[in-house]
Formats: sequence, C-alpha cells, structure tokens
Amino acid sequence: MKKLVAEVENLKAYYKVKGRILKAVDGVSLGLRDGEVLGIAGESGCGKSTLAMSLSGLFLPPLKYYGGKIKLKDIEISKMDRKLLRKNVLGKKISFIPQSAMNALNPTLKIRNFVIDVLKEHEPELSEEEIIDRVEERFDSLSLSKRVINSYPFELSGGMKQRVITVISTLMNPEILLADEPTSALDVSSQHQIIKLIKTLLERRIVKSVVFITHELPLLRHIADRIAIMYAGQIVERGTTSQIIFSPLHPYTKMLMSSIITPEKGMKGKELPVVSGSPPNLYEIVAGCRFAERCPYVTEECKINEIKFHKIGDREVRCLHPLTERNGINAAK
Amino acid sequence: MSPYFKYILGKLKWYVLIFFAALFLNFFLPRLIPGNPISALVAQMAGGGASSDVLNKLYNSYIHEFGLDHPWYVQFIDYVVKVFHGDLGTSFSLYPTKVNTILAQALPWTIALQVPSILLGWILGNILGALAAYKKGKFDGTLFPITLFVSSIPYFCFAIILLYLFGVILNILPIGGGYSMALTPTFSIVFLTDALKHYLLPFLSLLLVIIGGQAIGMREMSIYELNTDYVRYAKLLGVSDKKIIRYVFKNAMLPQITGLSISLGTMVGGALITEIVFSYPGIGTWLFNAIRQQDYPLIQGGTLVITISVLLANFLIDIVYGIVDPRIRASQLEE
Amino acid sequence: MELLRSLIKSRKFLIGTSIFLALLLTSLIFPLVNSSDPLEMVGLLYEPPSAEHVLGTDNFGRDVLIEFIYGMKTSIFVGLVAGLIATLIGTTIGVIAGYVGRLTDNILNSTTNLFLVIPSFVILILLSSSLKSRSLLFLAIIIGITSWPWTARAVRAQTSSLRTREHINMAKLNGMNNFEIMLSEILPYVSSYIFMAFVLQVASGILSEAGLSMLGLGPSDVVSLGTMLSWALLYEAVRTGAWWAFFPPTIGISLITFSLLYMNTGMDEIFNPRLRGE
Ligand SMILES: Nc1ncnc2c1ncn2[C@@H]1O[C@H](COP(=O)(O)OP(=O)(O)OP(=O)(O)O)[C@@H](O)[C@H]1O
Ligand SMILES: [Mg+2]
Repeated sequence: MKKLVAEVENLKAYYKVKGRILKAVDGVSLGLRDGEVLGIAGESGCGKSTLAMSLSGLFLPPLKYYGGKIKLKDIEISKMDRKLLRKNVLGKKISFIPQSAMNALNPTLKIRNFVIDVLKEHEPELSEEEIIDRVEERFDSLSLSKRVINSYPFELSGGMKQRVITVISTLMNPEILLADEPTSALDVSSQHQIIKLIKTLLERRIVKSVVFITHELPLLRHIADRIAIMYAGQIVERGTTSQIIFSPLHPYTKMLMSSIITPEKGMKGKELPVVSGSPPNLYEIVAGCRFAERCPYVTEECKINEIKFHKIGDREVRCLHPLTERNGINAAK
Repeated sequence: MSPYFKYILGKLKWYVLIFFAALFLNFFLPRLIPGNPISALVAQMAGGGASSDVLNKLYNSYIHEFGLDHPWYVQFIDYVVKVFHGDLGTSFSLYPTKVNTILAQALPWTIALQVPSILLGWILGNILGALAAYKKGKFDGTLFPITLFVSSIPYFCFAIILLYLFGVILNILPIGGGYSMALTPTFSIVFLTDALKHYLLPFLSLLLVIIGGQAIGMREMSIYELNTDYVRYAKLLGVSDKKIIRYVFKNAMLPQITGLSISLGTMVGGALITEIVFSYPGIGTWLFNAIRQQDYPLIQGGTLVITISVLLANFLIDIVYGIVDPRIRASQLEE
Repeated sequence: MELLRSLIKSRKFLIGTSIFLALLLTSLIFPLVNSSDPLEMVGLLYEPPSAEHVLGTDNFGRDVLIEFIYGMKTSIFVGLVAGLIATLIGTTIGVIAGYVGRLTDNILNSTTNLFLVIPSFVILILLSSSLKSRSLLFLAIIIGITSWPWTARAVRAQTSSLRTREHINMAKLNGMNNFEIMLSEILPYVSSYIFMAFVLQVASGILSEAGLSMLGLGPSDVVSLGTMLSWALLYEAVRTGAWWAFFPPTIGISLITFSLLYMNTGMDEIFNPRLRGE
C-alpha cells in the first residue's frame, strides 16, 4: 500500500451562528495516499465544502474548529498558528479549488497580478518577471494559452476560468489538492478538460494526491481511486471506486447511485428518481443512525445509538444492515 | 479608438445632453407657474415707493432682458445664447450689478468650502467604514450606532449645534461670515489666518456629517466584499490579510464612487444651506438673500451655476471611475 | 407574516419604528388635548423657558413648545405625502423600465439618470421661488415629484433581476398580459425594497422641506420644524444664545431622520442577510 500523505482523525468543524451550533463536519476520519484521487460524494448540504475547507486547516468564521487531527506526514495543522499555516501550508502543501469558481477571482485584478500576489507571499525573493516566467511556463506546459495571464477574470469563459484557477492553485506544487466540485458548474466538454487537467497534474507529480468532491457520485468513476460517502456531516461508507459504485453497502450510497443523472460518454443521461426525503437538520442531530428517517431498511435498533464503522472484509460502513447481508447481491467479491 | 476614450466620449455626449436639459429647466420652470417673476416684480414695483424714473428704467431693462415680447422658444434661444456668452443678467436687488459679478465673487468661497470637505469627508469616511467592517465587533459595535446617528443629523442641524457650541458657548471661533468685517480680502497672512478661523466651523460641520454618511455605506460594501468567494479563495491560497484588504477596499470603493456621483447633488444642497447658518459668503448665502428679495435673475443664475458645477463634478467622477474599474472599459469594447 | 416576525425581531427596526411612532402620535394627539394656536403671540421676543412656556418663546413671542409639536406634525406630513408621491412615481417607472426593457427601459432609465444628476433642490428652488406664498401641500407635492428617481433606480434594478425568473415565464405562458404580470408577479417580490425606499423618501422629504424653509421657501401657511429654524437663524437666536428657539427643531428633525434611517437599516439587514455581519 502506498504511503499516506495526510491523515485526518475525528475532525469536527461546526458553524456557530447566533449562538446556535451547526455540526457540518462531525467526526470525519480519512486517509489520503500518495498518488491517489479520493472522491467524496454526498447530497447538497451534507458538509462536503465545509470538510474541504477544514482539511486545509483554515477555519474561517463562522466555521470553528471543535476537535480532531489533520496530520500531514509529520506536522499537525488543525491547531496551527494562522500565520504559520498561511506561510507554510496554504497553497504550498494544501491547495484548494473552490466550488464557485465563477466568483473566485477578484473581478478587478488581472490574473497576472493575482499570481504575483500569491507567489510573492510564499517566495518573496522572486521578482515579478521571474514569477511571470514561471507562470507562463506552467500555462504552456499544461497547454493553456499564455494570453489569459494578462486578462481580467470577466474576460474569461467559465471553463477557462476554472482551468486557470486549477493552475493557479497548483502553482506551488502542493502535495494535496482539494477540489470542491470543480466541474459541477461547467458544460460537458469543459468538465472533461478539467478532469484531464487534474489527471495530468497528478501524472506529472505536480500534486501528489487529490480530494475530489462532488454531489454526482457516478462522476467519480472516471477519476477517483477510492471514494468516501458523506451524509449529514459524517462519512458513512469508504471503499475503492469499484466497490462503492458497483456494490454499495450503505443504503444511502445505493440511493445516491441510482438517483443521479448518469453522464455516460458525454451523452445526456436518463434522469432517475431523485433521492427521496431530505437530509436531517444539522442543528439538532438525532440519536442513532442519521439516515434512519429515510432508510428503507430501518429497524428500531438503528435509532438507539450512534452507528460505528463496521468492517466488512476490507470495507468499512456505518450501517447495522449493510446491503450484503440483506439480499446477498453485493457479497464482497 | 481606445475603449477608455470611447467611454469618455460617450459620457461627454451624455453630459452635454443633461446640460441642455438643465438649461431648459432653469429657463422654463420659473415660467411654469402663474405669477411669473416679471409680473410679480412689476406688481412689487408698482406698490413700492421707487421714483417713476428709476422704475421705468428698471422695467424697460427687464422687458429687454427677458425679451418678453417674443414667443417662448425665441426667449429660450436668446437665453441660451446669453448663457454661452457668460451673461446671466442683471440683479434686481443690487441693480445694476451683473449677476455674473456677484456669483464670481461668491463661487470661490463655496468651492473652497465644499470641495475639500466633500473630498476629505469621502476619503476619511471610506477608510473608517472599511476599518469598521474589518475590525468587526471591537470597532463596529460602538462606533456604528454613533456614526449612524451623526450621519442622520442633517447638515444644517449639525452646523447649528457646532455654531452654538464653539461660537457662542465656548466662544473660541467666529460666529459667522467668511472673514472679519474689518478686513478686506487680500492674500496677506492676517487675512488668511482670519479666513481660516471662519472656515473651521462650516468645514468641520460638513466634514463630520459626510464622514458619517460615507462610513456607513462603505462599511456595508466592505462587509459584503469580505464575504465574497474571491476573498475566501485568496485566503486559502495563503495570501496575506494585508493584500486581501487591499482587494476588498478597492472593490468596495467602486460603488462608493458611483454613490458619490449620485449623492453629490444632495451634499452640495446641504452644504449651501450650511453656508446660510454661518452667513458664509458663498453661493448659498447669496441665494438665500436673493430669495428673500425676490431677485429672480440672481436666483436663476445661482441655480444654474450650482447645476453646472454638479454636472462638471459628476463628469470628473465618471472619468476617474473609468480609470479604476476595468469592467467599464471592457463594456465599451463590446458595443 | 414570516417577514413581519423577523422585522419585529430586529432591534434596529423596532427602535426606529418606536421613535417615529412616538413622535407621530405626540404630534397627532397633542392638538386634540391642547387647542392653543401655534401662531398666537403669547409673550415677548425670546423669553427663556418658564413654567408658563416650557420651551420659552420665539422671535415673534410664540410658544416654542406648541410650535414645535405642530411643526413636527407639518414636517412628518410633508415627508409622508412627498414619500408617497415619490414612491408611486418611482415604482411605476422602475417596474416598467425593468420589466419591459429595451427601448422603453432606455428612455425611462436615461430620464431617471438625468434627474439624478440634476440636483433636485435646484428644481425645487426654481419652482417654489416663483411663488409668493406656498401652501404645505404644494411643497409636499413638488418635493415628491422631484425625488422619485432614487426609487425608480432601486426598483428598476430589482425588477430587471426578476425578469428572467421562471415564475414570470410561467405567467406569460398562462396568458397573463404585461400589466397583470407587473402587478401580480413583480410587485410582490420587490415590495420590501419599495417599502425601504419609501422610508428613505419620507426622511429625505422632511429634510428637503427643512432645507427649503431654511432658504426662505418654506410653507407660508403653517409652522414646520424648518421654518422654526429659519426664523431662529434670521432673528439671531443662535448668536444671542436663545437655545430654546433652535434646539427643539434641530433635535426634532435629527430624531425623525435618525428613526427613519434606523428603521431602514434594520430592514436592510433582514432583507439582505449578507450585511448582517456575524
Ligand atoms: N457560512 C455558513 N454559516 C452557517 N452555516 C453554513 C455556512 N456555510 C454552510 N453552512 C451550512 O453547513 C452545512 C454544510 O454546508 P456545505 O456547504 O459544506 O455543504 P455541501 O455539501 O458543500 O453542499 P453543496 O453540495 O450545496 O455545496 C449546510 O447545512 C449549510 O447550510
Ligand atoms: Mg459545497
């Protein structure tokens, strides 16, 4: 097994708004291996973006850190001093592609000046020319037009903006790239370009591993090596891509698989029934399984205690009645 | 043609159009209402005790000046031609002084009072507003309600309070006028320090209220900008707060510039009334006197000068805006 | 209803509204219990406050307290009438410009911008200086018809952002005509903005009246806070230290505008939650 580049243990990050606490990330544990793409999938509002943000170690109000560990090889960043984090980690070791790339760039700043600001922050000794040289080279090598460097964000198309952001985020060769729904606002051909770009970055070892977040589970089939399924602030199932996609154990995973448009080979997929019911209120979390309310296999037992991860072979799932034992269709291969 | 030049040209056309609209209003509005200036004046003179010789002379000069025997459009063209020759007519109350002469004397006072107070108030207000947004809590909690209260005090009320406090109770600053009666305006040290003393109160009263108003707008804009996606992204890339604040400040400023251009008219109006409170020898005080003496040529001259100044200032603001906001230039390219 | 509940929860909105209502009610109820004529001369010039005249007398020897209360009523009346007129005109123009778009929008928007740039107090001066005596209603009306561009601008922006919404397309498909759509599919969605604009217009109407009065163009038939200030200045109340003649109207005007602005801020925070600065 490849070595771990990051390990997250029982991470808790809550929003504190007007005295109320919203448990958006509630005890998440993950391991991220060298060279892999870890997919994270879940419905809207389950805390994916919050998790991605938290993984960077930067908790921006109203988000607050409430416990857990984020270990990068040898350093622990969850309680790190803001200044040190900014200097040594953000953009350099862990980088981010935000969900809303459309507005992620300052509208009145040329790309050129933004990359200068970013790079100068980490390597103050560089001159502007050196920075631009380096950026042009990187753009070139990833077959993006160098011209865009001198543009304002509003002069770029949505797809181009997203690719530019991806390149900017990886300028400093971060070990981990957190990509928060980098393709969801794009048309199909732009989606393909982004995915190709991320794969190229990995192949060239510009980034060592990627956390790829999406609400379209089937999308992960084409890019992720392993997948974690998120529900109501928690990971409910972990496994390899083929395990999760072809033989889901958690009823929620199965629901996610069957509910979302399947984008096969750029064709418009057939729309299947949407996930029924809605996720629980993260302000007041109920005892027992968080999915109980919507689960077709729910029993009284499910509603008593918080469900722990169960090991089934090499797989892990937070469910008392995983789909293997219920009907045997998904017996581990 | 460069996009910026194109932008300026478009603005220029627009302001020329507004200028003519303003001229038309200035000419037309007083005539819109029955009991127009001239007939009111004739009635007034008939009732007054002026000797018939003077009365006749006055009357004829008005008839001539207003061209009352012509149809209105001829009168209007006449009026426009005169304005372009810089001729605003003759004052009733200070006959035969030309309106131009009076306004030319008053304008420097008004400009000296308003331009620095509005500009400085705008700049300081924006800095303060941005700080309040950035240092939320500490600054914001106490400063904001105070600022809101100060900025909701009308200019002239604030002026009266300051005048009473510093001019009357504490008796440390002059209670009115632009300079002491005993002096004549020259560029001597004595006169300038005296003028400065008279300047302080009206200036401060405008400055403080403008700072308050701007700070509130800027605080809102900055809070909005601080919550944008680009700020979060820059933070996640490790960009320092200092640089991010610069982004936010600039982007929050842009609407403040447009805001200034929109509220300039109100500010100038408020400032003119502040002049009245301090009997400051600018356009506002002259306007006040002209109104009391029903000196229509002076009233109309005054309003025209004010309108033109506001238009000019707005044009300048638009020019600056075109420089600082790249999106404006880009939108010109698309057309 | 939901909205009303959240409005009531806003401290700023509550404080602003209570101050405003208190002032309004005082000015409405007082004349019912005290029938003194505010214009009646009851003493000498600038008598200081006494048991008989709690706020002293003004330059005409009138009772300042009674004048003040009537003046407040006048000022609020002007503000409300002017605000109503401005809001009506501004909303109509803004909704039509924002919804119809194209040439109509071009023309209406240019007109709006034109009147935004030409200072409205200039127009007010030109209109009211031609008249020797001005009634309160006349002033309220001309203030109203010169201050609509603000509202028009705000409403137009809101409306054009709604224009491409789904529910409007649905309404079109269902055969609603433009007028019905503007009335039933647009107005309700911009109503909160219209109300906020109205509150601001009331405040600015009160200030305009006061400003005009200070220039000597106030109503000639009644007392307003502005005319009180204007007389006090003209008769040197400030310089002679007769504070009771100018303090009440100063405080009155400031308090009314403050209450309205505070109300507006409270509503702004509710309608635009992003401003709520956590
Ligand atoms: N700034 C915030 N303040 C308070 N609550 C927030 C904030 N941002 C997000 N939340 C709440 O936290 C929860 C998780 O939000 P998050 O954005 O992480 O979800 P998500 O899975 O990324 O959803 P999506 O697919 O829509 O992006 C949601 O219930 C959301 O309402
Ligand atoms: Mg998200």
